[in-house]
Amino acid sequence: MNKQDQYDEDLLRKFINPERIEKAPEGFTSKTLTRIQIENQSENVKNGFLIKNRVPLISAAITISLTIAAIIVPANETGSIGSAIWKYFQSIKFTLPGLKDTYFQNLNIPSWISFAIIGIFLLGFFDRALYGIFHKENNP
Amino acid sequence: MDFTSDISCIEQVLQGKVNAFSYLVDRHKDKAFNLAFRICGNREEAEEIAQDAFVKAYRSLKDFKMKSSFATWLYRIVYNTAISLVRSRRKGVLALEEFPADTVDFLSFNKNEDEAIDDYRNSLVNFALQKISEEERGLITLYYYNDLDTEEISKITGINKPNIKVKLFRARQRISEIIKKVENKNIFYHE
Repeated sequence: MNKQDQYDEDLLRKFINPERIEKAPEGFTSKTLTRIQIENQSENVKNGFLIKNRVPLISAAITISLTIAAIIVPANETGSIGSAIWKYFQSIKFTLPGLKDTYFQNLNIPSWISFAIIGIFLLGFFDRALYGIFHKENNP
Repeated sequence: MDFTSDISCIEQVLQGKVNAFSYLVDRHKDKAFNLAFRICGNREEAEEIAQDAFVKAYRSLKDFKMKSSFATWLYRIVYNTAISLVRSRRKGVLALEEFPADTVDFLSFNKNEDEAIDDYRNSLVNFALQKISEEERGLITLYYYNDLDTEEISKITGINKPNIKVKLFRARQRISEIIKKVENKNIFYHE
């Protein structure tokens, strides 16, 4: 430390009184603790098992129900609950226009394509709806 | 319950006793607030920064490795929060061009001369601190007010030791110049 720096150092030591610090305002500790407790409570709600794992839980629920449905709906059996459900679906009069040679000449498009397109639209709709719900919750 | 040391308080908090954290807040609030205040120069913002720092510290307490002291760790959070805030609102800062004449007239308001001199010096240092960068303000506060060595300051700021020495040297020079300038103008005060 040269002479000038020593002089500056001494001057600052003279002017800066370490005892003379700006003290935290009254009630600082209680305010901080209250804030921590409030944040803790909202954190606990956010971290609840169902809330935290809602996306995998919904996916699991859908997958399980579809798997069960696939198991209990037999191909050609009658008399069981599964076949009753299957019959119900079969009884729904729902037809889609065949695309073969109707709209596009010389194009042989299988009829299941129309079901697939509707399925994609439905999945897209659910996807947007679920995204909207969860995104809104995550970013209030 | 043993709350004599920071470590015992931390252990209690980690066991789920949130109130044990109040001992840590009580112990460190003034120096944390002072550091925030010296960097940002505003009491309301300093309170917000210090509170944020304690909340962040509480949330990350389980990750605290105890390699450094709790104070060092806390000051690092305060320092980073304050520096980010000042940098984000840099354009809005209005630093005083001149040391205000009315603030030097302390002798008429104070009962004894020592207090008056102390008030005057404190105001002058505050004024000078606003003339240097936020980083230098932080370094000066940690060095002079918190009485930390360059090793500790390096842990807090992430600046290496030789660089801290250089920055402290420059900051000291700048503050010293400002003090001398004001002192020469205001001849009312002589030791």
